[in-house]
Amino acid sequence: MLVRYVGRRLLLMVPVALGVTLLVFFSIHMVPGSPAYTFLGPHASHKAVAAFNQEWGLNRSLPVQYWLFLDRLFHGNLGDSLFYQSSVTSLIATRVPVTLSLLTGGAVLSVLIAVPFAALAATHPGKLIDQVIRFTSTAGLGMPSFWIGTTLIILLGLVFPLFPVGGYGNGLWGHVDSMFLPCLTIAISIAPTLLRSLRTSLIDALGSDYVAFARAKGVSARTVLYKYGFRNATISAVSVLGINIGFLVGGTVVIENVFALPGLGQLMITSILDRDFPIVQGITLIFSVIVILVYLLTDVAYALLDPRVRLG
Amino acid sequence: MRINRSTIALASVAVVVLATTTVAGAVGHGQAASSAKSAHSTIQRGGTLVFDRGSDIISLDPTQVSDNESIWADECIYEPLYKATQNGKELVPDMATSYSLSANKLSWTFNLRHGVKFSNGQVMTSADVKFSINRVAAKASNPWTFINADIASITTPSKYQVVINTKTPWAPLQADMALFANGVIPNNYAGETSSVFWAHPIGTGPFMVKQWIKGNELELVKNPYYWQKGKPYLDGVNFVSVPDDNTRLLQLESGSAQIDEFPAWSQVSELSSKPGITMTLFPSSWTQFLGFNEQIKYFKDVHVRLAISYAIDRAAIIKAVLFGHGTVANSQVTPALWDYDASTPGAQYNLTTAKKQMAMSAYPKGFSTKLLVGSGNQNELTMGQIVQSELAPLGIKVTLQEVNGAQETTLQDESEFQMSFLYDTTDIIDPDELMTFAAAGGPGAQGTHAEFTNYDNTQVNSLINQAEHVLSMSARKALYDKVQLILAQDPPMAYLFYQPFAYAYSSKVHNFFVYPTGNYHFENVWLSK
Repeated sequence: MLVRYVGRRLLLMVPVALGVTLLVFFSIHMVPGSPAYTFLGPHASHKAVAAFNQEWGLNRSLPVQYWLFLDRLFHGNLGDSLFYQSSVTSLIATRVPVTLSLLTGGAVLSVLIAVPFAALAATHPGKLIDQVIRFTSTAGLGMPSFWIGTTLIILLGLVFPLFPVGGYGNGLWGHVDSMFLPCLTIAISIAPTLLRSLRTSLIDALGSDYVAFARAKGVSARTVLYKYGFRNATISAVSVLGINIGFLVGGTVVIENVFALPGLGQLMITSILDRDFPIVQGITLIFSVIVILVYLLTDVAYALLDPRVRLG
Repeated sequence: MRINRSTIALASVAVVVLATTTVAGAVGHGQAASSAKSAHSTIQRGGTLVFDRGSDIISLDPTQVSDNESIWADECIYEPLYKATQNGKELVPDMATSYSLSANKLSWTFNLRHGVKFSNGQVMTSADVKFSINRVAAKASNPWTFINADIASITTPSKYQVVINTKTPWAPLQADMALFANGVIPNNYAGETSSVFWAHPIGTGPFMVKQWIKGNELELVKNPYYWQKGKPYLDGVNFVSVPDDNTRLLQLESGSAQIDEFPAWSQVSELSSKPGITMTLFPSSWTQFLGFNEQIKYFKDVHVRLAISYAIDRAAIIKAVLFGHGTVANSQVTPALWDYDASTPGAQYNLTTAKKQMAMSAYPKGFSTKLLVGSGNQNELTMGQIVQSELAPLGIKVTLQEVNGAQETTLQDESEFQMSFLYDTTDIIDPDELMTFAAAGGPGAQGTHAEFTNYDNTQVNSLINQAEHVLSMSARKALYDKVQLILAQDPPMAYLFYQPFAYAYSSKVHNFFVYPTGNYHFENVWLSK
């Protein structure tokens, strides 16, 4: 059942991702601005611009250009960057690990922050500790990620020089070291929503009849919290986390910019500004696949956590 | 009770994770931040200089780049026949040692430096020079085809002699040979295919490519065969792309980078007094203009253009945009270039004169117009608002037309604007490039029609053309002085200010210098420990 469901969702991913690239392709071409002028510089003659457009097929009609993009795509080729004059696939391949590690690191850290504090708040509802956690998480919701990032850099990169001030680092440890502050920035952005959702669900779960029954049967408080409380509260939190990660995929550009990370978001913005159409198309495709996969994983996790949910 | 303990323990997981990673992080970076020492007066060898810039390079092929980041990085790898002196007013030999010009002024014989090797150990010869220069204009779509446009042919009479034959007596040729695009690479890509070669290019410059992580970082290491014995002093230079102004500054302050290219103007004064940081404003060839499109009827009228030129308070713009770190322009040319004429009577702020000029125009009551500004470009938005308010007393109602960067460039290049902020820098120290593009109009204009303004003054066109073919420096200077005088009286644009190149760098960096053309070389740069 689950395999069939996943298979169907993966198949559906194809038209959705292509639909996104179609929208992006025509919308970016509708915005005035030619890559020829950006590439050739301010002294470009009209002759040089015409030659550039001819060389890259930019003088052909938009439907033809899109058809050529699809044709290349079905042959496993995303085309060549107009600026770097190298394959889009290779350019994206070097960026994907950065963005994926940013997203996964941020998600893991946000869970590590949200879960304990949600548990603490839920087990002391209305008490001072609960109020403090709720207040802090509300304040966290109002902080823009670029401000959080810059503050963390100043605090933990400059005042207490514990982490690199941006960059991706070299080697595995260098990457881990460099990615901590960006991931923490993402975690601080997501954790408040996750924490509040988890707290509410946990309070509901801990106040339910089956929990009262478990307690009456002498089940330990720790088991009640983990087995009955968290298991049920996590269901809604997983959805919240999934949706947040989906939004974050598009929002990584801010974090990547602040921390000078060579990820997909940064490449996407540069390419939009330069009108490097093949890269924009390629990254849009990757982003849409990532978002679809995250939502699929969320649904699968939902079904695994709650046996009552039937996928289909 | 047990719940309390377990939940508190759980809550502490987050703190433990943070603390553990924090302590671990301290091992790797504490030293760099606490190792500030005083600068040494004697040259020290070694070290890799990390150079933060706003964006990455686009290509390692010097004939294919027009963005400054690529140009300036490529100059560390390839060297042309000549290069500019630090004051930007003369040329000195680089890959050539001397030249002679034929009696008919059409054949330039360059004598090449002996003993120069590429970074693969191969000796540089005239065949390499010929191949490299021919590549510049090999395709019409190459950005620098226009620079070599007057070259008719190149011959190599000997291993160390190159003869460049021009179609006409071409005065800027020696300066053209100092253009980065004419930097020397091995003949026929040293036997490789073009794509293999450009993955690991070879030049004669002080550095060679270690790796290029596209969009992020270009790592250069010293060329073991560099012809200047004992140089470069550095082991390497890493050009890192850091788009955010604040992050570049923070990396400089933390010691993880040694040079911050173009810090925000608002930070310049503060950086000037910061211990451990040197803040330098290098004289540049950057002139900022307000361009008028003469396809618009109002701007065909010279009195309108003069009225606007007189109505703009340049000092106010410099204060608001550059935080005072610029100078008022009186000419299209900056004082950093040899053709600058200090006596050029360019229009300066004078509202009375502006009103008189407006009264003399065909539109004494004013008109409505649009000013193109880049959305998100705070400098242009600020300048736009100042211009908007300063033209109001003339009856000129200005609407700001905000568009994004690529669209702005396209609209400018296609002359689809009414007024627009424009700027110019030059890539060679000869005035020809800048004059041709920012002042020359008519059929001779090489595509930009006086910086997209469609200005077409036959006298200016003729003087610029003459200056290209007169080989006496003093005669050329006199011609360019005349051009500047005419442009002051019949301006295609309002000359606003001269903007320096701002660099903040660690006090451990020595001998760093930026030329008026914006480029920098690293063979003499060293880092104190």
